[in-house]
Order: sequence, then structure tokens, then C-alpha cells
Amino acid sequence: MSDTPPAFPPSSPRHWWSNPIFRRYARSRLRPQALMAGLLVVGIIAAFIYFGVRTGFRYQAHMVEADAERAVLVPLLIFQAIILFLAGTGQVAAGITAEADEGTLDYQRLSPMTPLAKVLGYVTGLPVREWCLFGITLPFTGWALWKGEVEAASWVPVYAALLSSAVLYHLTGLVAGTVVKNRRWAFLVSIGVIFLLYTVIPQAAKFGLVYFKYLTLWPVVDENIAGMMPREAGGLIRLAKSLEPDVRFFGLHFSEIAFTLFTQIFLSLTFGMMLWRRWRRAESHLLGKAWALGIFAWMQLMLLGNALPLIAPGLLFPSRQFNRRFFREENWQPQVSEAVVMIGVYGAVTLLLMVVLTLIITPGTEQQITGLQRGRKLGWKRLPPLSDPASSLWIVVLMAVAGAAGWTVFSTQLLGSEWFAGHQLVPYASGAFLLVLLGGGLICQGVLEAWGGQRFFLVCVFGAVLPVMVGGIVASVGDRSLTAATWLAGVLPVASPVYAAVVLVPTVDVPRDVVRALPRAFWFWQVVTALATGWVVWRLREIRQARRALVYKEDGRS
Amino acid sequence: MDWDCQFRGACFDGSDMSAVLHPVSPAIQIQDLRVDYGKFVAVDDLTISVPAGEIFGLVGPNGAGKTSTFKVLATLMEPTYGEVRLAGIEIFEQPEAARRVMAYMPDLAPVPSDLKVWEFLDCFAEAHELGNAAQRRERIEECLDLVSLADKNNVFCKTLSRGQTQRLVLAKTLLHRPKVLILDEPASGMDPMSRRQLRLALRNLAADGATVIVSSHILSELSEMCTSICVMNRGKLLAAGSVEEVRRVLGRTERILTLGVVERVDEAVGWLQGREHVAEVRLAGERIAFSFAGSARDQAQLVSDLVQEAFLIHALEEQRSTFEEILLDVSGSNAAAAPNLPLS
Repeated sequence: MSDTPPAFPPSSPRHWWSNPIFRRYARSRLRPQALMAGLLVVGIIAAFIYFGVRTGFRYQAHMVEADAERAVLVPLLIFQAIILFLAGTGQVAAGITAEADEGTLDYQRLSPMTPLAKVLGYVTGLPVREWCLFGITLPFTGWALWKGEVEAASWVPVYAALLSSAVLYHLTGLVAGTVVKNRRWAFLVSIGVIFLLYTVIPQAAKFGLVYFKYLTLWPVVDENIAGMMPREAGGLIRLAKSLEPDVRFFGLHFSEIAFTLFTQIFLSLTFGMMLWRRWRRAESHLLGKAWALGIFAWMQLMLLGNALPLIAPGLLFPSRQFNRRFFREENWQPQVSEAVVMIGVYGAVTLLLMVVLTLIITPGTEQQITGLQRGRKLGWKRLPPLSDPASSLWIVVLMAVAGAAGWTVFSTQLLGSEWFAGHQLVPYASGAFLLVLLGGGLICQGVLEAWGGQRFFLVCVFGAVLPVMVGGIVASVGDRSLTAATWLAGVLPVASPVYAAVVLVPTVDVPRDVVRALPRAFWFWQVVTALATGWVVWRLREIRQARRALVYKEDGRS
Repeated sequence: MDWDCQFRGACFDGSDMSAVLHPVSPAIQIQDLRVDYGKFVAVDDLTISVPAGEIFGLVGPNGAGKTSTFKVLATLMEPTYGEVRLAGIEIFEQPEAARRVMAYMPDLAPVPSDLKVWEFLDCFAEAHELGNAAQRRERIEECLDLVSLADKNNVFCKTLSRGQTQRLVLAKTLLHRPKVLILDEPASGMDPMSRRQLRLALRNLAADGATVIVSSHILSELSEMCTSICVMNRGKLLAAGSVEEVRRVLGRTERILTLGVVERVDEAVGWLQGREHVAEVRLAGERIAFSFAGSARDQAQLVSDLVQEAFLIHALEEQRSTFEEILLDVSGSNAAAAPNLPLS
């Protein structure tokens, strides 16, 4: 450093990147020394991938030059995804947590910028180095696309989805980093959430919940990858692809890229809303009650919209998809047990989604008391029902009703299709579905609201995890213990939808002992759950009244 | 002084105490502010008005509710209820507008380790839209000059000492020429010279019309710096007004008198013992020290009686409660008082 350093850089005109938070990170994360080191490493790896793969295919596999160039594209795409998805998202989550940890986040809270500008600043600024590293790989991709004579129609959708997925993942990281306080945990949690959201949950698509697969990049890659592969391999993929359906949503048809972008934009908006709420007020729930209910209803609509049109042609069934992969479609017929599993998975996913949203919108004790104090001061008779401190009970009831409706429609349409002539749901199925969702949802909501997160955790351990573990051990003893195992596993709320499916769609494809035990176990546990739900709701009412009385007694009102 | 302080039902534990201050033109207006952390009441129906151009000190022991009040003022925390206006702007309705007119400096203010001094300041200069790069640079130089950090503009923030870091954050708070400055323990970590500079800087700002609300544990410094103060304890306002007014309301009624007597010292000690309002008479070197709890008139009568008794008095000193003593008394009352009543 010189003795009299030039204090400031020369004046420059304002650029498109004039967001102060973006510029703050552009300055700190693009310092030449660190950036050059990163660019060098990434550039060397990209060059190794390009030349290694290209040379191998050109001289070992004796491909023509254009095909050898095309062979480079997928490995490069994977490398680019690692840079943007893993490194970028981790940086976003850890960076925002570090700011909160150091205390400098409060300075940004105090900046007179809109919450949206702050979110944009962080989501573009924190991973700015990773975008530069991604940029250094692009010349290799560009060259391979040009020399490989790849049509724009193939690579543009893939890269559009890659970029939209990167933004979505970075928003996920920003939400995780905003919620998690410890910076090391923030990185792990964000990667865990991304793995769950975009890898595990999309697997539900294989069981009829097709919508979830559009959370990922894969449908777009699947649709367009043939055009980016060596022409011989691409031909085979294209042939297989021609047998695949496009995206159907009730009576409408969409391309994979359009529907994927639509899905990702919806999720990005939801994450954006979460961040906006947190920036506006640090104590806010991630989602408001109306938003949570709207998201739940929207998800039901999406799940049904994607699934129902695929029932008649048989494309919804896992066994059909499996057979198509191996060109064994002749004489294919779905089994009733397959429909039972699909109905059970639909219910379980609906219940889990309801529990996640309930965890987000249910107020803790402190929040309720603060809300009551505010209500007392402002002379409210009751808290506004959609405010954060208000009870989430009625929202959970509405979600259960919407979920039961969606579940019933899915089940009725599935069993009413020509594939299962002679089978039908029992008449009281919708009532049973509602009972299952209400029981699980209200116990979760009631325990959280009345006693807090720690008690909820204990209920989960003793009411869900332990019975399943014990049930698993008992089941492994032998066939004779299946009955006991069936009874034990029935305690698990997420098992209820599957039990309901088996009970409400009579089938002979399960062991006799299980068939005999399952209806009794299901109804027994439903009665127990209903009683427990009633007790929890009654206790919750008492606790809320006690809290209200204690707050209002300060000025002699009640 | 523009204060008109009315104390209703003043009592030392502040149980039924509220101060209504009628300012000429309030720059900070807090009405019925309450902050709860679950069952703990951090700020309990606080009402304060501070006119423009004041340096207002917020005093209280740990847990008094100072930082919570500051965080609410700075729009970093939503209170349970209450109204707050800064320079006429309702901060919960227009938080972004409020952030344009105020600046907040937290206790032990942090700085980002990965930025240089000028980069740190320029980020906020841009956020406050302080013009083009040249105009921002000029303003940054002004602020760095003001806190004597002009020679540090191109070093990394992490290399600054604690006191320099405090001064840098102070420079940040001054960047956009705020009308209201909220400074939580701004002098912590500063050396005596920096403290003096801080005092001068704050006085200059106040002279230019800015309003400063400041908290500090160095109470003698606060009493020198502030034009008015308020004392909080357990979330409640105990007293507010000028330094002397607060001392009068909250200070001990008894004071220590030290008497210099020529000859007959032992006789004077004996004479004082047993007099009304006099206690703890002792010899301190060649002088007699004793506690006196009477009024000013009683004190005058005592001196008159001493003269009539033909004691040759060559000196009389009076020692009143210091701010430290007031705060110690307030803190002591915390230990004696019952904890806040839980709500459930």
C-alpha cells in the first residue's frame, strides 16, 4: 500500500448494477486476488472437462468433430450447476447469516431502500463471485455449442431453466440464511432444504404427484437434452422422448420449459414474499395466514391439474412409466394396490404440506401475549383473524377441508377410471379423509400454539418416531407379529392416509393378517386421534382464555 | 431550556410515575410505548417528547429498557404498542421515510470485516442517494474528517481499533445529515480525546438543529454532554428534565457536610451529635464530616447556631448525590423489588 493512497476510485456514471447492496458485495467478493484464484481454478477444471471429454470422444470413440463437441456439453452443464447451485446457494445462506451474526445486517435494515430492493441486492450480490466463475465456463460451452451445431431450440430452454433454478435456489438459501441463526448451520440447512425440495420431493411425481417434478431442472433437461447430445445417442433419447407426454394441466397443454418456469416463478414469488415479510418486520412469520391457505389450495389445484389428465391414458401409474422405459407396454394393466399406494401418498403429502404450513403460521406464546397486549391497548375485542398473533386453528381447519376435497377428487377420479372398473371408494371416504387431515393438523396446531415447539417435538418423537421404530422391530420378528406391527404403526399420523387408502379401497393384495388388523387399527387410532384432538382444542381454548384474562386484567377488563 | 416537566405522583420506585414533557417543537415524540418479550415487560408505557436541537440522555441500569427503546426508535423492532414520531414522521407507518431522517448507532457497533473504510461508507451514501460518486466522496471525506479518520479511508475496517470502529460508525450515522441521531453508548471504547471530540461533534450537530438521543454508562460524561436527560428503570420512566431537575427529584435528600473549625474541634463534634437532622458525625483529618437530612433553611439555621456557639468556622462544604449514586440507588431498588409479574 502506498503512503498516500488514492482515497477513492474515479467517479463513474451510474450503472444498471447501482443497487448499493449488490455493489457492496461486488466490491468485497470481486477483489482481484481472490477472484483471479477462483477464475484460475474453475477455468482449469472447465478446460480439463472440455479437452478431456472432447479428445476422448473424438479419438477413442472415433466420433465426428461436431458430435465430440456435443459430448462436452452435459459434463460442463453439471459443473456449472455445481458452481451455481451448491457454491452459490451456500454462499447466499452463509453470507446473510454472517451479516446477522456480526450485527451489520441491522445497518441494511436501516437503509432507506424498499424490502424488494434489499432482497434483490442480496440475491444478486452475495453469489456474485459464483456468477463470475460460471461466466468463465461459458466460452467452453459457447464454443462446443457452435462447433457442435446445436440448435438454439435445444440449449436455450436448458440454460433458461438453469438460470431460473439458480435464482430459485439462491432465494431458498436466502430464506434459510434468514431463518437459521448459526452461519455453519445455515449452509447445511440450505443445502438440506434444496436437496429436499428439489431432489426428494420431486420423487413423489413417480407416485402420481406429477406437479412436483417441475420444481426441478430435470423435465427441461429431459425434453431438450437429446439436441445437446452426440447425434447418435441423441437419436435414441429423442425416440424415447417422443413417447413421453407433454405437460398437461386439466385440458391445457404446455411445454416443459413453460411449465417449469411457471412453477419456479411461483416458488420464487413465495420465497420473495417470505423475505419481504422478514425485511419489513424481523418478528414476522415467514408467511401470512391468507398466503399459507392460498398456497395450500394452489398446490391442491396444481397436483390435481397435472395428475387427472394422465389417468385415462394410464401415464400416471408408476408401473406404466417403468414398462415404457423398457418398451414392455403390451397387455399392461395397473393393479388396484398401485392405486391404493397413490391415494395413500397423495394423502400423506397433503398432510405433510399442511403440517409444514401450520408450523410457519402458528404463533408462539410470546407472540400471542404481545398481540393480546396490543389488542388491549387498541381496544380490540379480538385479534384480527389473519394477523400473526391470532390463532391458526381455523386456517388449519380450512386447509384440512381443502385437502380432503382434493384427496377425494383424486381418489374418485383414479378409481372411477376405466382401469378399475368394479372398484369404487366407500361412500364415507371423504369424511374419513377429512377426519385424518383434521386429526393430524389440529393436534400439530394445538400443541404448537398451546405449549410451544419443544412440546411439539416431544409429541413427534413419542407419537410418531418411536411407534414406527418399535413397529418395524416387531414386524421383523415374523409374519405372526404383523398384526401387532400394523397396530403400532397406525399411531403415526402420516401412516393414517395410507391406512385410509387401504381401508377405503378394498383390495386383496396385502397379507391376510394385515387386511384383518388394518381396518380395526385405522378406526381405533382415528377414534383415539379424534379424542386427543378434542382435548387439545379444548385445552388450547382454555390456555388462550387464561392468557387473555391475564393481559386484560391490567386494566380491569376481560 | 424549553422543558416544562410535570411529575404526577412521583415516587422513587416509579410505580405510578409518568413524566409529561411539553416541548416547543418535538423532534422525537414517544407516546405510550410498550415493548414485551413474552412475559417480560421491557418498556412500560413510556411517554417522552424531545424538542429539536436537544441532546437528550437516556440513563438507567442494565435491563432498564434503553436499548429496546432505541431499537424501536430506529425501526428495528416493532413494539407491542405505542406511537413514535421522528421529525413528525410516524415511524411504523412510514419506516422508510423515517430512516431518511434518522440515524442509529448501536452499542458496540460492528463493521463488516471484508470492506475498506470508504467502501463501507459509500454503500450507505449510495443507499441514501447522496449524489454521484464525486459528491458522495466529498461527503465521506467530510464525515471522516469530523471523526478524525481521514487517514484511514483506504484501510480495511477490520484493522481499526475499537475506538476507531466506533468513530467510523459515527461517521456512517452522520453521512446523510440526519435530523435525529440515536446513539446507544457511542463513547464505549473511545479514548479521552475521542470522547471529547464526540462531545464537541454532538454539540455542533445540536447547534445545527439536529436532535440527539444518547445513552451512556459514563454518567458524568452524559451530564456534561446532555441538555436534558431521563432516567429509566425496569421499563418505566422515573424522571425527566434538566440534569439538575432529575438530580433534585431522584437524588438523596441527605447530603454530606464537611466543616472546617479552628480549635475546639472535639467540642464541636460533641455539639453536633444529637442535633436534629444530623447523623454519622466523624472526624475526617482536621475536619468534621456529617450527614445532614434537613432542608436548606435547617442547614442555614445549623450554621447560624454554630456561629452563636462561638465555634470559629473557616470552611463549609456540601456534597450532593452524584449521578452514579442515583443510578446505584435505582439499581439497588431493582434487587429489593419483586420481579415483574408473569402473565401466565
